Amino acid sequence: MGGTLARRLATLPALLLGASLLIFLLPRLAGVDTVRAVLRSRVAEAEPDPVVAARVAAELGLDRSWPEQYLRWLGQALTGDLGLSFATRTPIAPQLAAALGVSAVLAALALLVAAVVGIPLGVRAARRPGRLLDRAVTGCAVLGVAVPEFVLAPVLVLLLAVAVPLFPATGWGTPAQAVLPVLTLAAFPAALAAQLARAETIDALARPHVAVALAKGIGGSQLLWRHGARLALTGVTALSGMFFAGLLGGAVVVEVAFGIPGLGRLLYDAVIAQDLPMLQAGLLGVVAVAVPAGLAGELLQLALDPVARAAVEA
Amino acid sequence: MRRGRVPVGSVGPAVLAALLVAAALLPVDALTTNLADRFAGPSLAHPLGTDNLGRDVLARLLAGTRLSVWFTLVAVLACAAVGTLAGLAAGYAGGAAGQLLQRVLDVLVAIPTVVVGLVVAAVREPGTTTLLIAVLLTGWTPFARLAYQLTVRERGREYVEGAVALGAGPGRIALRHILPNALRPLTAHACLRFANVLLSLAGLSFLGLGAQPPTPEWGAMLAEGRQYLFTAPQLVLVPAVAVVAVSLAVTLLGRRLESRWSGR
Repeated sequence: MGGTLARRLATLPALLLGASLLIFLLPRLAGVDTVRAVLRSRVAEAEPDPVVAARVAAELGLDRSWPEQYLRWLGQALTGDLGLSFATRTPIAPQLAAALGVSAVLAALALLVAAVVGIPLGVRAARRPGRLLDRAVTGCAVLGVAVPEFVLAPVLVLLLAVAVPLFPATGWGTPAQAVLPVLTLAAFPAALAAQLARAETIDALARPHVAVALAKGIGGSQLLWRHGARLALTGVTALSGMFFAGLLGGAVVVEVAFGIPGLGRLLYDAVIAQDLPMLQAGLLGVVAVAVPAGLAGELLQLALDPVARAAVEA
Repeated sequence: MRRGRVPVGSVGPAVLAALLVAAALLPVDALTTNLADRFAGPSLAHPLGTDNLGRDVLARLLAGTRLSVWFTLVAVLACAAVGTLAGLAAGYAGGAAGQLLQRVLDVLVAIPTVVVGLVVAAVREPGTTTLLIAVLLTGWTPFARLAYQLTVRERGREYVEGAVALGAGPGRIALRHILPNALRPLTAHACLRFANVLLSLAGLSFLGLGAQPPTPEWGAMLAEGRQYLFTAPQLVLVPAVAVVAVSLAVTLLGRRLESRWSGR
């Protein structure tokens, strides 16, 4: 365990540095002339004066070699200076922080709903496999995986905002506005959590310690939850870490469809407006949160699940 | 597998087959606009009505089926080929190559496909090639992981030792001896990935990063129809049902194949 942890943590800085280098090189890959792009964001001029261009390049350090530029860019990013947006000429860092906050709330709410709905249903279904409740839960879970966000979002709007006007169809800030996007995002993790909880509880109920508990006269819901479902929760916990990472920045469709100013929306708007500094900052945010969160989820699973631990160390 | 479940599993593939046959055989005109006949209800001439530009919705649905399903098939096969070769090579070489592959996979798995799609769209123009690159960049990883695990497992078997003793080279052993034994689990996995890739492609098109209007692609149709959600919800519901039906059908088929062929 200790060795695995140390090895994984040791690779983390290298991974983040590699990712930051790729993000830095993005405008070059896109074939964007940075000096020109900066000038065009300041004055709407099609063909800038070469003298002015050279002066701006020297001012911004864009005439140096790219490794030098990379180190400076990285140093500034680490101290919280992410530069100005090409589109709005306003500092990026506060916008990124606000977007990250919105996405974190959205992702946390979605995972909470998914866990509260998915896990109990999966565990209850496992009690009597093949019976009505189990078939209904399994059917819904398969459907939940097959229905994508871009279908669920308009359908929920149609049902709960148009046909029966219970909730607003767009926006962010009030609890009512959060209902439809959170439901849309929660469907897929809830379906997976139900499937996983069901499978692992069925597994657990077949183990010897449950037979011992039964022989001791423990039955009903205590048997199901204390002795069966407890094992199921380890897998679900690890999964939620990875889901949280994926939903930060990965909820682009939902954030665009419902007009939520989160990280996914920030990335989308940056691509549409060709705002490369904003896109780079957003990607740095995604990588800085997603890679450690995924790792944390995996380590959590190793800490909770001796079988997975043995598999890694073997 | 229990006998009672077989018919349920067959419904999905049957729906998919019917859609594909209809899409392949019927001559459809998905692009002709008729502004005098916008938002028409179902009729003999237009069984599913017409859209915001008076185009036949059924024709667009069938043309979209052809486009989406073929495109997904190409993308899944490309992902499977790249991932399988990478996993096979790293699994057979083992050691540092195996470690490197696993670290790369750890990073790529953490990054959502839609974010990769946005980045590729920023570097290139939006379009179908952009979509294919974006899906390939993340889609090869599950195949690589599975192929890697299978190769590591098979490498220790007696028949591999036998092939080594007979003087077979690593390339021959990997491709002629190990790959055939890994093919069934990989095929079942490809079926399960098909639904995932289909939804990724349609999702990126929904965001306007893939097929551009007036191309009758499901995601693009949904995005276009969303503007008329309040007045003509069928423009959203028709492609929505198609997407869900196909993704459900392929998922069910993949589950059946996996439970039969998983080899675990």
